[in-house]
Amino acid sequence: MTPMKQMPLLFARALRGVRQQLGTQLLSVMTVGLALFCMAAALLALENAGAMVQRWGAPVRVTVFLAEGATGSQTEALRSALAALPEVANARYVTSAEARATLGEGGDRAIASAPVELFPATIELQLAPAAVTRARVAALADRVRRVPMVADVETYRGFTDRLRDMLSSGRAAVVVMSLGVLLTVLAVVSNTIRMSLAARVREIEVLRLVGATREYVRTPFLLEGAMLGGLGAAAALFALSLVFYTTRAHFEETLGSALGLHPVFLSAWVFVGFLIGGGALGAAGSAAALRRGLQA
Amino acid sequence: MGRSRVSSLFKPHFRPEGHFDRSAAHKPIVVLENVMKVYRADAPVLRNVDLTIERGEFVFVTGPSGAGKSTLLKLLYLAETVDEGRVLFCGKDISRLTDDSVPHLRRNIGVVFQDFRLVPYWTVSENVAVALEVMGLPPRVVRSRGAIGLARVGLDGRGDDLVRVLSGGEQQRVAVARAIVNEPAIVLADEPTGNLDPVLALDILGLFEEIHEAGTTVVFATHDRSLLEVAPHRLVVIDDGRCIEARAGLQDLGEVMRADPMSSVH
Repeated sequence: MTPMKQMPLLFARALRGVRQQLGTQLLSVMTVGLALFCMAAALLALENAGAMVQRWGAPVRVTVFLAEGATGSQTEALRSALAALPEVANARYVTSAEARATLGEGGDRAIASAPVELFPATIELQLAPAAVTRARVAALADRVRRVPMVADVETYRGFTDRLRDMLSSGRAAVVVMSLGVLLTVLAVVSNTIRMSLAARVREIEVLRLVGATREYVRTPFLLEGAMLGGLGAAAALFALSLVFYTTRAHFEETLGSALGLHPVFLSAWVFVGFLIGGGALGAAGSAAALRRGLQA
Repeated sequence: MGRSRVSSLFKPHFRPEGHFDRSAAHKPIVVLENVMKVYRADAPVLRNVDLTIERGEFVFVTGPSGAGKSTLLKLLYLAETVDEGRVLFCGKDISRLTDDSVPHLRRNIGVVFQDFRLVPYWTVSENVAVALEVMGLPPRVVRSRGAIGLARVGLDGRGDDLVRVLSGGEQQRVAVARAIVNEPAIVLADEPTGNLDPVLALDILGLFEEIHEAGTTVVFATHDRSLLEVAPHRLVVIDDGRCIEARAGLQDLGEVMRADPMSSVH
């Protein structure tokens, strides 16, 4: 291994390599930055979509459809029993007439003139968010379905499941895109380092001649690759921050009022991970170039 | 004086973290035993070469172009390896060294080429300092020893100049400074005057003689007969892959030529 005491010198050598081909290196940083920007933007979208699913995907409401012939006292007994459950914040009895009136609020005359028997009476349960999980709601629905006077139970899982499916698809798309970005960054850095090697053949020859070890020759190029990847990641995050904070107010206005959602930026861990990952990716691209380039 | 300086400076390490073998100081610096080097099976470059170089010697290696002078030197700094035979450096068979040990061997050998092999976009100081930096010496030591090296070749005060603005003779001086700055046991010069006019060639030869007088072993490969005439050092002639000894300069070369005429030596 290269002794740590030589690292400042090797780092200076890497910086000199970057300066020597500044135009090419800047172009590489921009290309890497663009690829990583796409990935970071996708991650940001995913993070916010995750927050939305978290907010909207949690079960909040259950409707219990009562069978025909349920008496008033039976209904009240069931409502009281349901209201006493820890998962339930509020249980409200809705008569057939009220159901018809609610559905007909839009001004649909056909609904308003339909016989009241067509609209089953229900007990509307408002769930306590802190005490509710999908599993507990499913168990609650199964228990209620077994009560003789209950015709059906609607947990509105279809909507939340669709949200979750969308999020899973989004995650899969980001994984596929990440692979593409990974290959792009590797290829860009690898080709840049290959050009750097070609431009510095004499330097490498001299280093070997005077007794430089393999690591001493390789390390500046690895650092150069890591710098390209790291700077590309930093540029991507900077551009994304710029876009995010300039458009945030607009999103707050639209998404905030419509969905009650406040856009959030990437967490500090993702931020740091992205920078380190960019550097590591750059070093890996450089190592790939060195494997062939230095042998040649 | 030269000899005592050699034994005090010469501490070859062939392996990372290796220890200096004291017995190496009493062995010939280079021994080639029955060395064979073949690029094409029907025309070996070197065949059954036996050669011993004692420490502190100045040895001219001459012969026509393509005779194998450069190959002989390459076998010493392991740019090439022997196909048969052994190359001993301070008594150690370097043809068996691992790849990891080659850099450590090269730190004991300075090499100068006809085409200078300098990095054109580096300064004079950087080109010289590189030989010290690879050894992991502190920057302060690198600076001071680099300056001494430049002074030895008459380039003090030129350290900040870019190499590409120097004349051919000056560039070769930089190359010589790089070769000697880490005080190697031996300096190999492969046609170092090939790109220079006769006056500069003599100048550079004088530089190598100064290095030799300071106690360093010098192996100087050239086909320039005028240089062999002015410096009465031991002479080795290589022709058709074979090595012929001519002990002491031009006089002995003449005897060799009479015994084995080789008109192509210029």
